[in-house]
Amino acid sequence: MTNPVQPDEWLKRLEARSRAKQETFMDGIAAKLGRERVRTRPKHPFRGAPDFWKEFQLPIEDRIRQFTANFEAAGGHVVRVKNRAEASTFIVDKASEMSAGSILINDEVELSTLNLASSLPDAIVRSWNEDQDENWRAVASRSDIGIVMADYAAAYTGSLVVTSSPAKGRSVSLLPTVLMAIVPVDRMVTRLGEILVRFDEAGREQLPAGIHFISGPSRSADIENDLTIGVHGPGIVFAILVDDDSDA
Amino acid sequence: MKISLFVTCLSDALFPRAAESMTRLLAKYGVKLEFPDIQTCCGQPAFNSGYWDDARTSARTILDAFEDSDFVVAPSGSCTYMIHHYSELFKGDAEYLEKAKALQSKVYEFSQFLVDVMGISDVGAYFPYKVTYHPSCHGSRLLGIKDEPIRLLNGVKGLELVPLPYAEDCCGFGGTFAVKMADISGAMVTEKSDHVLETEAEVLVGLDMACLLNIAGNLRHRGEKVRVMHLAELLYEGVSVHERG
Amino acid sequence: MSAAEKGQTVKERARDALGNDFLRSAVRFTTERLRLGKKLAAEEHGNWDDWRERGRQIRLHTIAHLDYYLNEFAENARANGAHVHFADTAEEAVAISLEIAKHASAKSVVKSKSMVSEELHLNQALDSIGVEAIETDLGEYIIQLANETPSHIIIPAIHKNRHQIAGLLSREAGEDLPADTAVLAGFVRTKLREKFLAADIGMTGCNFAIAETGSMVLFENEGNARMVTTVPKTQITLMGMERIIPSWSDLEVMATLLPRSATGQKLTVYMSGITGPRREQDADGPDQMHIIIIDNGRSLQLGDPEFQELLNCIRCGACLNACPVYRHIGGHAYGGTYSGPIGAVLTPALKKNVAEWDDIANASSLCGACYEACPVKIPLHDMLVYLRRRKVEAGRGNKAETLGMKGFSVVMGNAKRYRNVVRLGKLGQKLVVRNGEIRARIGPLKGWNTYRVTPELPKDSFRDRWSKVEQELYSESAPMNPEVADRLSKLMDQRKNGGHGQ
Repeated sequence: MTNPVQPDEWLKRLEARSRAKQETFMDGIAAKLGRERVRTRPKHPFRGAPDFWKEFQLPIEDRIRQFTANFEAAGGHVVRVKNRAEASTFIVDKASEMSAGSILINDEVELSTLNLASSLPDAIVRSWNEDQDENWRAVASRSDIGIVMADYAAAYTGSLVVTSSPAKGRSVSLLPTVLMAIVPVDRMVTRLGEILVRFDEAGREQLPAGIHFISGPSRSADIENDLTIGVHGPGIVFAILVDDDSDA
Repeated sequence: MKISLFVTCLSDALFPRAAESMTRLLAKYGVKLEFPDIQTCCGQPAFNSGYWDDARTSARTILDAFEDSDFVVAPSGSCTYMIHHYSELFKGDAEYLEKAKALQSKVYEFSQFLVDVMGISDVGAYFPYKVTYHPSCHGSRLLGIKDEPIRLLNGVKGLELVPLPYAEDCCGFGGTFAVKMADISGAMVTEKSDHVLETEAEVLVGLDMACLLNIAGNLRHRGEKVRVMHLAELLYEGVSVHERG
Repeated sequence: MSAAEKGQTVKERARDALGNDFLRSAVRFTTERLRLGKKLAAEEHGNWDDWRERGRQIRLHTIAHLDYYLNEFAENARANGAHVHFADTAEEAVAISLEIAKHASAKSVVKSKSMVSEELHLNQALDSIGVEAIETDLGEYIIQLANETPSHIIIPAIHKNRHQIAGLLSREAGEDLPADTAVLAGFVRTKLREKFLAADIGMTGCNFAIAETGSMVLFENEGNARMVTTVPKTQITLMGMERIIPSWSDLEVMATLLPRSATGQKLTVYMSGITGPRREQDADGPDQMHIIIIDNGRSLQLGDPEFQELLNCIRCGACLNACPVYRHIGGHAYGGTYSGPIGAVLTPALKKNVAEWDDIANASSLCGACYEACPVKIPLHDMLVYLRRRKVEAGRGNKAETLGMKGFSVVMGNAKRYRNVVRLGKLGQKLVVRNGEIRARIGPLKGWNTYRVTPELPKDSFRDRWSKVEQELYSESAPMNPEVADRLSKLMDQRKNGGHGQ
């Protein structure tokens, strides 16, 4: 290993070793279980939640109420606005109130229509990955506020979901001091399972590299059970629920 | 109908009043117990310590004793639960495995037998004291005896039932555990007694003499006067006093 | 070095712990907070036993078909672009990790909480090749600064108070920090943020691995696991071979059980599903992702009817919080990576049940609180008995106890002998009974009587009194109460017709 080896060559060697080992590993498991290798998908009679749970659905207003209660109980903030214009006003007001100097937004159409840069002339407002040469992780770490669209939200656990893509950085919901997530209410479901099952349906090839469920501000109770907020991730988290998320 | 008494060695040798009170209380309902004297110990001390051969020797006396019984009743949840281990213990012995399965389906702990089988939850007792109840682990957790003793105690006139804080926590007995890990067991029983004393109850009642031996022993060691009784003793005493008026 | 490796016995370790009042009150406070949280969360969610059973069934099914699901996971993870490795032993896993670190020319590794990594003693190994390993979970970071091991699966620094923590962090800061949680946590945030941004490798454990999509799932509250999987260029996931579940749908059940059982939360603040390294156009996430699948004694449980269910464990720590023994002695007294009831079973089991002939399996009153707390219903209290039995069967039982049990068997095998021994006891106790009690700390009563007094054997045993009782009660043949008689007959009929009778 002291000889310089091309990384690709090294990885290929690792893979060959891994594939050989995989066979003996699986054979070993089958032998210990006292049977032949199982090579076709076994029937899984207990897949997912119990049936009574899969039928559980709340009407939208109840979902919103439950999400709000859970998210706030976890230390998050929830505001509800009518449309994107109101969302923009809320964000601008908050950013001014907190004297935010730098804001990082995911590069999504919905977020660009908030016109934050023009409404906050004193702040540096940047869009994720707008410039390929930038170290975006470092930018995110220096940002006061990260703003994202939630892909989904689940009322029962008070969780919002963000997924990664070239335009949507994992860092945006993680590294800034404050996180603001816009949640169009029609993306809010009752249970976690309603969201999870979509990942099964989408299949491996369609999954983003990062899927993150966020249920409040970063927290820890590791020092004498004393609750601390913002230990690594954002300590202040807003879920901005938007009733009508159309462009109008 | 043959209803048998599974006395348990601890009640037989050290606390005969528990088994006797149970016998006398059941007699009030015309339930006559039969006592096969070939029974010894359920084998739990050896079983739990890993000495299954030794446990089997003793468990066989129980299986033989109750072979012909229709119902078996015992003043202990823990010894009753031990019977549930017999199918495992006699896995390799067809004859006794059969007996083990049969016994498991007909053995009951005292309060279970009284409430669930006989359908009695008010024995007509009078017992004007402040009482707290310790639910023993095997009976409550593993046999699921939770409501039965509470219903019986609620049926006693004059009795004030005060909840025991952290009632479900083990008293620290654990058979040979109390001897082998004496310091840990000692810490556990001390905490249990603390909770008993916190209630300011005059009487501590339970369903297992082993746990009660442990807690009472610690309370006496500390010079505390709390009276410690098996539920059958309390009920029978309450019935006798009531009848005397 | 763990306490067990120092050659201390369980009893010695327990005695140390019992003499540490801060430890005991801290452990009691924390476990009570967590178990109350769990109880309330389970009640609020409802149908808890149905959920536990569902969780158990999913885990049973997966482990019973582990070769299929693990293979499927490995294939899918590779298709996602991850590099998958298999390690039979801790040493192999360490060797693979070091090889990756060398190829990444790594100077530092940031780690999120991983019990598997504790099994491997990986930090020392990385240190030996000049790579700095930094634990980033707040509790783990504190423990690392103290050069200790975690004492709880979920709250690793349960045994440290804020003044001790302030001392450790002040040393790191080079200035005196007040013992104030917000200040201390703020210092750690700033300090570790630099470490995250500078690290070459991020290393995580794995709560669940989803076979059908090759994804791995992490549960956490602080965000450090997200940091570790987002910021560094290379990521290594250490994964016990049993962490598999078939699908995302199954994750709903695990996500329902795990956080509620661990802390009483409906969900941890972050639940992240990572599917391969970053996509080509993504601006964050690792360039290279390695998943090391580790056996290290786990497969020894496969096909063992008494211990296979051990692999169902989802590492929630609920059994620790419910355990009355853990509450008094804390985690370190268990002497292994895993503590509490799960540790008492897992530690010897991972070593084929024989290498670790420590007495740890005896440090339990078999109260069953662990089983009742377990979200996937692992019968830990039974497993402790199996461990004890295997030790005895292997001829490694305590000599005095073996002799005692032989005596037990001789006496209890025959009612006459038993009766005679009780009579003999009544004679013998005359030497030690004072006022109806035995207080002397002698023989087997030594430890017992340190905390208790023992009552004397009564004049007559129950069987001595039986004929008198029988005669008094049953001489007149009173009939059975008709309602009672009716209920009993009905029960007997049910039993005959295949009913349970109970």
